[in-house]
Amino acid sequence: MAVQHIIPAHVRVRSFNPAMLALALMAGAALLATPQAHAGRSCEAAKPVPAKVIERGMQLAQQTSAALDAEHAKSGAQVVVLGRAGQDLSKYGLRYSHLGWAYKTPEGPWRVAHKLNECGTAVGHLYRQGLGEFFLDDLWRYEAVYAVPTPEVQQRLLAVLQDKGRVKALQHPPYSMVSYAWGRKYQQSNQWALETLAAAMEPATVRTRDQAQAWLQFKGYEPTTLKLGPLTRMGGRVGSANIAFDDHPNDKRFSDRIETVTVDSMLAWLQRAQLASAPVVLVLR
Amino acid sequence: MKKFHKILGLGLAAGLLCTLAALPARAQSEASAALSLLPVASVVGTASVASAAAGAVVAVPAALSVGGAVLSVRAVEASAVGTVYLLERASDGAQVSVEVVGRGVAGSAYAVGTVVACSVIGTGVVLSVAGEAIAFVPNAIGRALLHNERL
Repeated sequence: MAVQHIIPAHVRVRSFNPAMLALALMAGAALLATPQAHAGRSCEAAKPVPAKVIERGMQLAQQTSAALDAEHAKSGAQVVVLGRAGQDLSKYGLRYSHLGWAYKTPEGPWRVAHKLNECGTAVGHLYRQGLGEFFLDDLWRYEAVYAVPTPEVQQRLLAVLQDKGRVKALQHPPYSMVSYAWGRKYQQSNQWALETLAAAMEPATVRTRDQAQAWLQFKGYEPTTLKLGPLTRMGGRVGSANIAFDDHPNDKRFSDRIETVTVDSMLAWLQRAQLASAPVVLVLR
Repeated sequence: MKKFHKILGLGLAAGLLCTLAALPARAQSEASAALSLLPVASVVGTASVASAAAGAVVAVPAALSVGGAVLSVRAVEASAVGTVYLLERASDGAQVSVEVVGRGVAGSAYAVGTVVACSVIGTGVVLSVAGEAIAFVPNAIGRALLHNERL
C-alpha cells in the first residue's frame, strides 16, 4: 500500500529561530515563576489539528505552486528562496519566520530543501519536502514570500540542491534558534540556507562555515539584531533545548543584542546585493 | 463486520489499494504548540462505487467526492499499522474504507456512529470529526505537492 510514511509519528519537527522564540521565552518565564510549568512546552503532546489548518495549508501550497509555475513560464525561474510566516514576530519587526530553497524538479513539482529542528532537541537536519509539507503547519499568517535569484545564482544553487553531498556540505547539526550569525557553534535553519548560498556561489573557495560567513560579510549581509534582555535570555535558555546564547560574543550578548539570520534580513540583502529580485508576497485567496 | 471484510476484500481484488496515500500534516511547526500529526491515511477500497473503479485509483473515491457530505463510521478495525474505518455517506449509502496509520488524533479510535465531515478542496479531501482533521486524502494535484525526504 502506498502509504507515505513521512516522518515517524513520534518525531515532530520544528524550524527556525525567533519563530518559536516568543513562545519558548514565555515558557521559560513561566518555568521560572511556577514550578509546575515545564520545559519543552512547544513540543508537548499532540493536539488535534483543525481541519481548517489542513485545508488552508494545502490551498496555500497549491496557490504557491501555481505562482511558481507561472514564474517559471515567464522567466524560466527554476530556483527561488521561499519563506513562510509561522509565528507573529512583529514585536521583533519581522514578518516571516522560516525559509528554504525551492526548486523545480524535472518531473514538474517544486520541492523545498530546508533545515528543521526536531522538537525538544538541540539538533537540526535537512529535508527535501513538497510545498504541501512546507505549508502544512499551523501558520501565523497564510502567506508565502518568494524572491527569484538572478539566472547565475539559480544555476549555481540548482547544482547544489540536486546534489545530496553538496547540499549537506555546510550543514551543522547543533541547533539554536537564535544562533549567532557569525558563529560556528550552532546553526539555525535560515543560517544553513544563507551559508549554502555562499558555498554555491564560490565553490572553489567556500568550503567551510567560516569561509561562507567571510563571503557573506564581504558581500554586505547584515543579520537582524534582536533586543533580548537578560531575563528573556535566561527564560529562553532554561525553557528549551534549542535556544542558547553562549555562542554570542559577550559584548553583544550583555548589551542585549542578539544577531541572527532572519528571512526578512536575507530577503532585503539578496535584493540589495542584486542577487535576487524584490520579494513577491502570496496571500491565501 | 462481515460486510466490512467483504468491502476490504473487494478493494484488494480490484487492485484498488491506492495510491491514494493520504497525508499527514506532520509538524514542522515553529509555532509548534499547536500542531500535532495528522494521522497518515489511505483509502483501501470502495464499496458501492467500486464497480466504477478498476484502474480509477487516481481519483478520490466517489464516497468522498462531495464536499460538505456527512459520513458516519460504520465499522472500526485495528490493522497492523493503525485503524481501518468503514465510512458510509448518509445521503446515499456510498461507502469507503480508510486506513489511518498510527493513532487517531485524540489518541484513540473513533467509535461506530461517529459523524465524519468531508471537505473537498482543490488538492483532495479532508476528513474531520467535530472540526478536527482525522485524515487527508490527496488527489493527483495534492500528491504532487507532497514529498518528504530527510537528506
